[in-house]
Amino acid sequence: MKLYETTIIFDPGLEEARINEELERVTGPIAQAGGEVVEVQRWGKKKLAYNIKKRRDGTYVHVKHKRPAPLISEMDRRFRLNESVLRHLTVLAPKESPRVAEEAPKTEGAPRAAEVAPTAVE
Amino acid sequence: MARDGESRSYRRKFCKLCFDKVDRIDYKDDRRLSRFITDRGKIVPRRISGTCARHQSQITEAVKRARILALLPFTSDQYR
Repeated sequence: MKLYETTIIFDPGLEEARINEELERVTGPIAQAGGEVVEVQRWGKKKLAYNIKKRRDGTYVHVKHKRPAPLISEMDRRFRLNESVLRHLTVLAPKESPRVAEEAPKTEGAPRAAEVAPTAVE
Repeated sequence: MARDGESRSYRRKFCKLCFDKVDRIDYKDDRRLSRFITDRGKIVPRRISGTCARHQSQITEAVKRARILALLPFTSDQYR
């Protein structure tokens, strides 16, 4: 089974509970088919670069998963029928994806100690 | 052969992504990709940006994916 990553843009009007419910419908069949959900990333509400279905924003969810290939087209079909999904994209995940996550590690500047020594007042 | 005589100075272009030792360009990284599109949303050609063939093809694919996800624009409305 190959590793896929799917990004789904939900309607921004959907509340948290509905999104969880919708996600459940996506991730549910994976386990049944012997697949595996590797990671779920919620990017939250983001501004769209262009309007989709007259919406300016969308709630982004990114899922990494393994599943048998025939199920991808089935998932795709369901997304297209689903009114609350503005957009979706499934691609094959790059082979060593951890590399991407490690990119640009934030180096915290060491707090500089006060260089000026307190001058003794005579 | 320099057309404008000796006055014009040439600076060799280099691939910024090779310079940064980027292994793979991610379509989710819209901040990085936005450096390789024009303000109208077009992909900057290799002859302008100086990117190497390998990275340019990665950029192309990543930008196209990012456009589907509305992370990057297909075009900019402001010129309409």
